[in-house]
Amino acid sequence: MTLLELEDVTAFYGPVQVLEGVSLSVPENGAVGILGANGAGKTTTLRAISATVRAGGRIVFDGKDIRGTRPDRVAALGIAHVPEGRGTFGDLSVRENLRVGAYLRKDRKGIASDIDYCLDLFPNLQDRITSNASALSGGEQQMLAVARAIMSKPRLLLLDEASLGLAPSTAKAVYDAIRRLRVESGIAMVVVEQNANLAFTLVDSATVLETGRNVLTGTSAELRGMDEIRRAYLGG
Amino acid sequence: MASVPSPRQRSWVRWAGPLLLVVVLAVLPLVFPESVNEIIARIGVFAVAVLGLNLVMGYTGQVSLGQIFFLGLGAYVTAYGVSNDWNIVVVFVLACTIPAVVGLLVALAAARLGGLAIAMVTVALPIVGVPLAKRLSDYTGGSQGLSARFGDAPEGTGLYDDQWRLYLVLAIGGAVFLLTRNLVRGKYGRVFAIVKKNENVASSVGISPYRYKVLAFTLASLIGGVSGFLYMLVIQYTSPETMSFGHSIQLLAAMVIGGAGSILGSILGGAYYVLVPQLTNLVDPSLTALLQGATLLVVLFVLPGGLASLARPLGRGRRSSHDRRGPTPPITPSATTGSGTAAETPETERQGHP
Amino acid sequence: MATFIQLVVDGLSTGSIYAAIALALVLVHQATGLINFAQGGMAVLAAYSAWWLTARGVPLVLAILASIVLSFLLGAAVERWLMRRFERGDPDTAVVVTIGLLTLITGICGWLFTYNNQQFPSLFSLDAVSFLGVSVSQRSIGTTLVIVVVMFLLQGLFAGTKLGLALRAVAINPQSAAFSGLPVERLLMVGWGLAAVLGAIAGAMVAPQLTLTPGMLDNALVYALAAVILGGLSSPVGVVVAAWIIGVLENLAAVYIPLIGYDLKVAVPFILIFVVLVIRPQGLFGRKTVVRV
Repeated sequence: MTLLELEDVTAFYGPVQVLEGVSLSVPENGAVGILGANGAGKTTTLRAISATVRAGGRIVFDGKDIRGTRPDRVAALGIAHVPEGRGTFGDLSVRENLRVGAYLRKDRKGIASDIDYCLDLFPNLQDRITSNASALSGGEQQMLAVARAIMSKPRLLLLDEASLGLAPSTAKAVYDAIRRLRVESGIAMVVVEQNANLAFTLVDSATVLETGRNVLTGTSAELRGMDEIRRAYLGG
Repeated sequence: MASVPSPRQRSWVRWAGPLLLVVVLAVLPLVFPESVNEIIARIGVFAVAVLGLNLVMGYTGQVSLGQIFFLGLGAYVTAYGVSNDWNIVVVFVLACTIPAVVGLLVALAAARLGGLAIAMVTVALPIVGVPLAKRLSDYTGGSQGLSARFGDAPEGTGLYDDQWRLYLVLAIGGAVFLLTRNLVRGKYGRVFAIVKKNENVASSVGISPYRYKVLAFTLASLIGGVSGFLYMLVIQYTSPETMSFGHSIQLLAAMVIGGAGSILGSILGGAYYVLVPQLTNLVDPSLTALLQGATLLVVLFVLPGGLASLARPLGRGRRSSHDRRGPTPPITPSATTGSGTAAETPETERQGHP
Repeated sequence: MATFIQLVVDGLSTGSIYAAIALALVLVHQATGLINFAQGGMAVLAAYSAWWLTARGVPLVLAILASIVLSFLLGAAVERWLMRRFERGDPDTAVVVTIGLLTLITGICGWLFTYNNQQFPSLFSLDAVSFLGVSVSQRSIGTTLVIVVVMFLLQGLFAGTKLGLALRAVAINPQSAAFSGLPVERLLMVGWGLAAVLGAIAGAMVAPQLTLTPGMLDNALVYALAAVILGGLSSPVGVVVAAWIIGVLENLAAVYIPLIGYDLKVAVPFILIFVVLVIRPQGLFGRKTVVRV
């Protein structure tokens, strides 16, 4: 059962065409990576899904074309976007950040238990629960960003460069937690990542973008084996 | 643009326009009736005032709600000097320097605050200025105000007073415009534009935004003082009402409607300031404020570059033919770009501290 | 001594009015990063609508409540139809837009209700209460109390409610807020609406004292701006304290410093700003006063 289907998606920034036709298919409970060099259109693909850029083509989520809706509506459908640069609320405490994440929910008990779950998933946040997000370290902010996203109980998580600017050990810790989340919750994921090796620890399959187009799609196992592809696109 | 004119032709073209303008301006006062000359003189007065505001706001991006105060101050200094029979040159110099010094002092404090705070502090100038003028009645004549007549046509010129005064306004105002034009098209203008665009960028290339904001504000105050001198020359009467909050807002509206960051816009702004209230008064005096507010909003919506932007395609074509590196292309207020979707500006984060 | 205390209490009362408008400015600034120079003008329009209703026999309290509802709608409408276009652009342009709005509203008030002073009935009795030899008008006490209560409600809204949290989140990062499903545009309208409500309350409190004119709150706006500069744009508490300090100081200065007197007391907050800028450039409270981000 396919949860999200992108067909020939195009997007422009002003007059510049950034996406020239990207396709992507994410099964229910699946995790798909988007790989590629800088400027290949990875982030824009995520932004097209979350309706922060206007896109052409077809973006079907759960059987409905969601193109042209507003970002908050997309979120309400069950798509949570963890943007590049984290996008936490700096002047709000960690707990408040998590509560904002749960804005669309009404079940107080469920929210409380999900906050506990987030703190269990990211124990670093436990001690910082009353600190302002702006006072957190980069790794903690990334954890908070993911935690905030899952507070909305999404069916699909869009993860943009979660390892960016983090020390390798921190990046690994973040990905370990996300993998655990995936196993325990079954949330489907679209994962944009520069660091291909890190991405392959999380995703089942991946597509490689070059100048706004898919150039290669395959399972993690297939792609991982392709040395020249890795050198060319993934900087590995 | 089919044929490129030779350098000689170009310099001829370059001088012909201004020369023609000077000739026209020299002849017109002789043929116009007194009432028209007076209106043109008033437009000149407020064009200079708007120009001062444009320097600090249009070119340097610091919203000032206090420009009218410097006009009032210059007018009072002039009125006081003239009624005490001081030499008119001394009066003129004082009418320039006293507002400039006051402006410098205000700017030294206000420019320490970032961005909008300058608007928030300068709004105090007219608000405090009016009661202050009433209080200092020994110098200002209190609520009654001061009258002073000067600038009558000298014997032997054969000119009427209104013609002579208009010539004075055109000469002094023209000089101020010329100097300001050279300033904003030169090195300082480029720096002002950088400060306007992004103070952080300015700092990163070694420009002190503080210093240039103070400079722009001080020069604007000086130009305000000149406009005050001209105000007394033409209107011959000033009172605390001259620098009221309402007038301050009207001046700002005139600048925006004329065209922010534009020399031509300053002249159009002066004309707007003088002519439009007369027109709206004709319609219905109680509608004046309403119409002015509505006009300002409409202009901001549909013509963010002001009236001057209508004339721009023509002006730019001509200028680029002989002055390619003419530095700051008139900066259209970023309202047009600002309405872009969130997509075009991904970094919309407004966190105080990273 | 009795005079002194009386002056302080009256100062707190006028300071409360400044505080309410200053809080409205802070609210709008928090939500949209703008300074709304029309905040006072919108409050005057609200006061006129209440006055118009009382003149038609509506009881004062009901008239004020109606004007508060009206203000909320006006504030939201202004955000939606006027300011939204300028919110992400150059803040200076947006400031000019609010100045245009101020002119327009003043013009509308003057056109509909003339520029003549209108008597606005007071919610509180003018009788004085004697307390330990000091007589203070009930109006001063009532005004102060109303504004204090409003401030606590506002504080409660922001600290304790989901709506308040959402408003703060939108102010900090609209994009992330949308990613979490917050209806950003509607919340911005709510923020402007609430700010207008604050202004309307301030207008209704101060109108009996100043009598109603289209420019009634021009000076109060200036005081409020001063309070915002002194108190810090991000600190509601700082702004309120600053407004009170301004209210009290200007009252005392008017009486005890002949050089200032009643006519020049409007200069007091700016002398204060000047002094603060020289000795403490970061402002009275908090980290930094006014920084454009």
